[in-house]
Amino acid sequence: MTGGLVLSHFQAFLIFAAVVSVAFGFLGRRQPKDRVRYILWSFFLFLVVGIGIGWLMFPFSR
Amino acid sequence: MSEPTNETIQVQPPLEPELKASPAAENQALMFALAGWLIPGLGHALQRMWGRALIVFVSVGLLFFLGASMRGNVFTARGNDAFDKLGYIADLGTGSFYFLGRALEQDGADVSHANGDYGTRFLATAGVLNLLAALHAFEAARGRKA
Repeated sequence: MTGGLVLSHFQAFLIFAAVVSVAFGFLGRRQPKDRVRYILWSFFLFLVVGIGIGWLMFPFSR
Repeated sequence: MSEPTNETIQVQPPLEPELKASPAAENQALMFALAGWLIPGLGHALQRMWGRALIVFVSVGLLFFLGASMRGNVFTARGNDAFDKLGYIADLGTGSFYFLGRALEQDGADVSHANGDYGTRFLATAGVLNLLAALHAFEAARGRKA
């Protein structure tokens, strides 16, 4: 591959989940405490759902 | 079975009509939404929502920068199929970043590798996120959300 930023699938997944969770938290909640809880919860769900779907697809990967 | 009574039926008073914003306020809200689309976060900054403005700008900017750095596909209006057109609409959601990305693009997209594909998703997410933020700025200006 010539040029370009190279990230592993998991790194891209983590960055995506973190950035989108922070944006959702700030747009969806007003109080700082609520925002932090929402961001953590959203990030956790991204991880669980993403990794869960990955494992569900594992039997069909070969 | 109980016998019928002669009680009068209590009629509920009509609910207060929903407060409607004046046409000037509606236009202003629309301007905030357009400003937010064109420059991510500006719709919130104009309403002095500084934290949200900063987060929207940084989030959309970071996703777009990473997507472009990974050589994701920045779609054009001349798409071959429906997916290309949807990608174009999503990318266009980043407003000025889209035009900046098109202008500064040097090597073009490379979706023959996984990273280019991740980049394409990052770019589309940046656009959709910015459209969501612009809608939020519009609703906040109309007093529906805070």
